[in-house]
Amino acid sequence: MDTKKGALQISFGWLFAIIVGMFIIFLAIYGVIKLMNTEQTTLDVKTGKQIGVLLNPLETSFESAKTSSFTLPAESRIYNGCNDEGNFGKQLISISQKSFNKWTETNLNASFTNKYIFSKRIVEGKKFYIFSKPFDFPFKVSDLIYMTSSEEVYCFPDAWGDIEEELSNLNQENLLLENCTEEMIYVCFGGNCDINVNYQDGTVEKDGEIMYFSSDALMYAAIFSDVAVYECQLKRLMKRVGELSLLYGDKSILIGNAGCDLEIKTDLAELIVLAGNLDESQDILGLTTNVENLNEKNDAGGDCKLW
Amino acid sequence: MVKRLPKIGQMKIQQMAFMLIAVVLFFALVGLFVIVIRFSGLKQSSVILEEENAMLLVTKLANSPEFACGSSFGDSKLSCIDADKVMMLREHISDYSGFWGIAEIEIRKISSDSKECNLENYPNCGIIQVYSKNVNKLPASSNFVALCWKEGSDRGINERCEVARLMVSSEDKT
Repeated sequence: MDTKKGALQISFGWLFAIIVGMFIIFLAIYGVIKLMNTEQTTLDVKTGKQIGVLLNPLETSFESAKTSSFTLPAESRIYNGCNDEGNFGKQLISISQKSFNKWTETNLNASFTNKYIFSKRIVEGKKFYIFSKPFDFPFKVSDLIYMTSSEEVYCFPDAWGDIEEELSNLNQENLLLENCTEEMIYVCFGGNCDINVNYQDGTVEKDGEIMYFSSDALMYAAIFSDVAVYECQLKRLMKRVGELSLLYGDKSILIGNAGCDLEIKTDLAELIVLAGNLDESQDILGLTTNVENLNEKNDAGGDCKLW
Repeated sequence: MVKRLPKIGQMKIQQMAFMLIAVVLFFALVGLFVIVIRFSGLKQSSVILEEENAMLLVTKLANSPEFACGSSFGDSKLSCIDADKVMMLREHISDYSGFWGIAEIEIRKISSDSKECNLENYPNCGIIQVYSKNVNKLPASSNFVALCWKEGSDRGINERCEVARLMVSSEDKT
């Protein structure tokens, strides 16, 4: 058979080797990409879990508030998720980091049952500030954790009294009382700012929506959170109020054997029902009378105090 | 008439095919080896995180609402555990499953016997097993605390406190 001049002569062996070689290289590249994605997801989940573990030391004892910060190795987005199902609900944290100028995708969460983080749904940055404050209702329920990015600076131009003192003592770099500039987020206790606090009515107005609070701890929570995060975390807190009320109710019976008679069990049972029925933050205002009653009865208990 | 390939050519193709299969298998095995090593490292880091969690938690657990004395024993005390409350917590512990993300919480009085506490023998007992998950556990992290409870007497209500060790173990996932 004549061979045409100029035609490429490739033997079957070469052709076979090229096709299979390409297949092997394709498989190798595919495997490496998959492995890189898995590694990135692993890193994201690990970082999320690490953040949760690092929040343990923020549990306060007698301090009124405590601040801390952490820096991640790359520009990151922390997704603050909240699930209010079950006995206590869940705090979910997932991380997305910038890799090759693209945000990594992850739908894997690190979950914690005993933590309450108040922040925007997505907090973006490299350095993050966290401060915590105990929430009493009327007994200590938990330490609330407020997380903000160093890229967002909050200004409290007209903060007064305890709030001014507390913010000043915190000395957190992105919470300012003076020397504010236009690009900052203004939080005002009177007037029209980005976030408006009505301390008397117990409301925080943000992005046209209103959140209700009954203590300073919840006021900060409303200031630094998105409405959805705040409402969900509040429901989780009320679930814990219910569980703690059960403990204190049973404790009152136990110490009753030692001669204590506080007559507080009915009020605690009422609190369990009211806290369990909380559907939105507005309902918290209806609980304040009950909480005050409980506090008075407990304070009057002398040696028999429950908390 | 069918033209046959020379026998040497067929041999070469077979050799190459076997070689290529061997190369694929080799890389697949290397890949699997790498993945196994990576995932064993992942398990290890998960255990380290669990241990770290237990270590940090044990220093703060005594001040958490389910354990802390608060103001019920006079002035607020640091690292003070309300034994009356903890005994009631034991009764409701099924609600708290997975709450602290650890495998075991135990409180041992220093000066007492090793009798485990229940509502019948309390407070004349030495060990309050608050929570225990039926899994393999890592060695416990511990912290010294004051364990306080109220007792009735002819002179009224007495507050008693003893030194105890709060022990927290995390799950061994290896």
